[in-house]
Amino acid sequence: MFGYYLKLASRNLRRNPGLTALMIGAVALGIAVCVMTLTMYRALSGNPIWWKNDVLYAVTMDFWDPTEEYFDSKPGVPPWQLTYRDALAVFASDIPKRKVIMHKAVGTLSLEDRQARPERVTTRVTTTDFFGAFDVPFQYGGTWAPSADTGPEPVMVISRAMNEKYFGGRNSVGERIRWNDNEFRIVGVRDHWMPLPSFYDVNNGSLEEPEDVYIPFGWNAALEIYSAGNTQGWKAEEINSYRDFLNSENIWIQMWVELPDENARRRFQDFLDNYAQEQKQAGRYGRPLNNRLTPVDQWLVDNDVVGNDDRVLVGLAFAFLAVCLLNTVGLLLAKFLNGAAMTGVRRALGASRRQVFMQHLVEVGVVSSIGAALGLALGGLMLMGLRALYTVDPTDQGGTQALAQVDMTSVATALALAFVATIAAGLYPAWRIGRIPPATYLKAQ
Amino acid sequence: MTAWNLRPIASALWRNRTGALLVAFQIAIGLAVLVNAVYIVKQRVEKISRPTGMDTANMIFVASAGFARDFDYDASWREDIATLRAIPGVQAASVISNIPLSGGGSSSGFQARPGETNPEKTVPGNTYLIDEQGVDALGITLSAGRAFEPQEILPPTPTFDAASQAIVTKAFAKSLFPDDPNPLGKTFFDGLSRPITIVGVIEHMHGAWVSWDKLDHVVLFPRIKTGPSAIYVVRAEPGRQDAVMREIEAKLGDSNPGRLMRWVRPMSYFIEQSYLDDRNMAIFLVSVTGVLLAVTALGIFGLATFNVSTRIRQIGTRRAVGARRMDIVRHFLVENWMVTTAGVVVGCAGALAVGYWLSVKYQLPRLDLYYLVGGVLAIWLIGLLAAWQPARRASAISPAVATRTV
Repeated sequence: MFGYYLKLASRNLRRNPGLTALMIGAVALGIAVCVMTLTMYRALSGNPIWWKNDVLYAVTMDFWDPTEEYFDSKPGVPPWQLTYRDALAVFASDIPKRKVIMHKAVGTLSLEDRQARPERVTTRVTTTDFFGAFDVPFQYGGTWAPSADTGPEPVMVISRAMNEKYFGGRNSVGERIRWNDNEFRIVGVRDHWMPLPSFYDVNNGSLEEPEDVYIPFGWNAALEIYSAGNTQGWKAEEINSYRDFLNSENIWIQMWVELPDENARRRFQDFLDNYAQEQKQAGRYGRPLNNRLTPVDQWLVDNDVVGNDDRVLVGLAFAFLAVCLLNTVGLLLAKFLNGAAMTGVRRALGASRRQVFMQHLVEVGVVSSIGAALGLALGGLMLMGLRALYTVDPTDQGGTQALAQVDMTSVATALALAFVATIAAGLYPAWRIGRIPPATYLKAQ
Repeated sequence: MTAWNLRPIASALWRNRTGALLVAFQIAIGLAVLVNAVYIVKQRVEKISRPTGMDTANMIFVASAGFARDFDYDASWREDIATLRAIPGVQAASVISNIPLSGGGSSSGFQARPGETNPEKTVPGNTYLIDEQGVDALGITLSAGRAFEPQEILPPTPTFDAASQAIVTKAFAKSLFPDDPNPLGKTFFDGLSRPITIVGVIEHMHGAWVSWDKLDHVVLFPRIKTGPSAIYVVRAEPGRQDAVMREIEAKLGDSNPGRLMRWVRPMSYFIEQSYLDDRNMAIFLVSVTGVLLAVTALGIFGLATFNVSTRIRQIGTRRAVGARRMDIVRHFLVENWMVTTAGVVVGCAGALAVGYWLSVKYQLPRLDLYYLVGGVLAIWLIGLLAAWQPARRASAISPAVATRTV
């Protein structure tokens, strides 16, 4: 029976090709716009490390200006970064399984023999646990020993892209390379890794590409490295040297910890509160005690990683889909009613309402399948267009490049959406045509 | 019976209400989206096209990064500036601490009185360090006072130091001294209560962050940027930007092995980057709304066509008993207008609800009612245009149809 319905459907659809094209086009457009916005939205709003949501925490402490909130719009949320000295003090705790203090800097990479052109590289100055805490994959080698963090030892992890540029993609572990004209030894090559949104440092937008190179945190003091991300201060302080800067109330360090269980989480929270209490007693903190351990999910919300524009666009996409589907329902209805005379004949010859309903639903299914397939393809094209819109400099390998990669989840979501939406759109017209008393149309003939 | 025969049209419509209701719903959604989208787009376009106060069309920025241990920053920037100023077609060149409108920069709080503790009386400013050609290189207009003199330019410091003289924007001065129309020569203070004298007043200039409401609060200090990375701003003579950029690349490219010439870029690069999200939002809204209205118009067209095609005999009969072609056209246009208006009524409520929701949830300004009126007129017009062709076709039906079987 299904095969016969399919044949009927294709014959009916071919009878008015213009109308059929219109219906398929409407479905395809609605689906395409939804696929595009949802992919973009997912890229921005998903938790890229969801499997660690109950163990990985951002550490924040509120020692901001006693007279003002840090976030005007979100009273009570502490600043997202720490001062250098607080970060070091809290880092001393051995409660966390992994602990990361870090910031983004820029440096110039060069080779001793000056064979390759020097390259300006984004650099993460971090403790070794960065790679373990965020599950960063390695192509060659691995990270440095914890003792190298504070030493600091001249060791470096470089990205796969940099390894290709400087060493032709071979295993470069053990090679020497210079960062700001200081010699470092490569211990690892980071593999492709592009968490979206880039949650671990939200200073420079959520589509930031991970850094090119990684060096131990201890090099800050040794090489007087300033942040290339964001440095903020509330207090007017006399700063005459890098030492003064390290001891100032400027915030520029991000901190993350991995706490394996609830017990560890509680103990670490106590540790933070005790430290803040001590500092308060020493006269440093002017604000109420407010130290937080924030899991990634909440972190993305607190820091407005998903912009208002993105939410408006998702709303718009669904309004658009709704209009497309209403349109399709209207067209299907008109089409089915146009063919009512034939349906009347079929009913008179003994087809049940159910059979008429099923027959028309198959026709809807054909329209929706073609529409959904076209819509997915169109959505893919639109995403490529979107990537072009977001690229100012084609040589930049920003995180926006990843926008054009439609992942399997998005495809599955879109397919489900297409199926449910169009079938829902077809249900009413199919039901309605089944309700028509056959006699009316037989008479008219 | 009214002159327009509204009642029979309405009753004919009511007999086949499902299709009409579907179209009315599309129109309602279309209107709600149209009005709000146009309103948002208008705000973005206004934001992007604000005057910057600078000669953005002719400005070029150059970035160099010294990295060698033996790199001599002081000698390097002097040499670079001399080279840049000697290039034909260059009007002015200056060392500058950050690039205006680039989304990267530095800001500090200033006060009208030393030791002010009230945070509400601290006025934030985008701060830039420039040299004696800085004002000229940025192409800003001074409404009072003067640019910096060569002997006033201070050497770089290892920290984030200001200076005791400044050129400020009118807007900044107004926030600092609300009651004083002439801030030239007045003194204000930094966070450590160090005095700063205003030697020049800029008519208007934009600072670092385009979405910041203090974008036009700019403070320029006479000091060389801290090394070993340097940024230069170069202003080319009108029409010579490309040639000057090529010349800069050629002259500075490999002049010093201890540093890396990072890039030479026109000002437009940074402005485009900063307004990218706003521009893309506008493009996206315009295109989706445009397609949405097109789909809605197709829906109206489809409904009218369907209505005509199912009523061929009635139309023929009406024509046979004396209705003019005009009457038939009018019948379908009025019928369509009724559907559109039903949609518009629901759509107005929808537009206001969406506007309210946007203003509450996303802090967008409240919807202006003029936009609603404009939207309603636009939808009526679209409805009329979409129904025109089917209505004309209906009027072409011959009265003889009434005597035939279909």
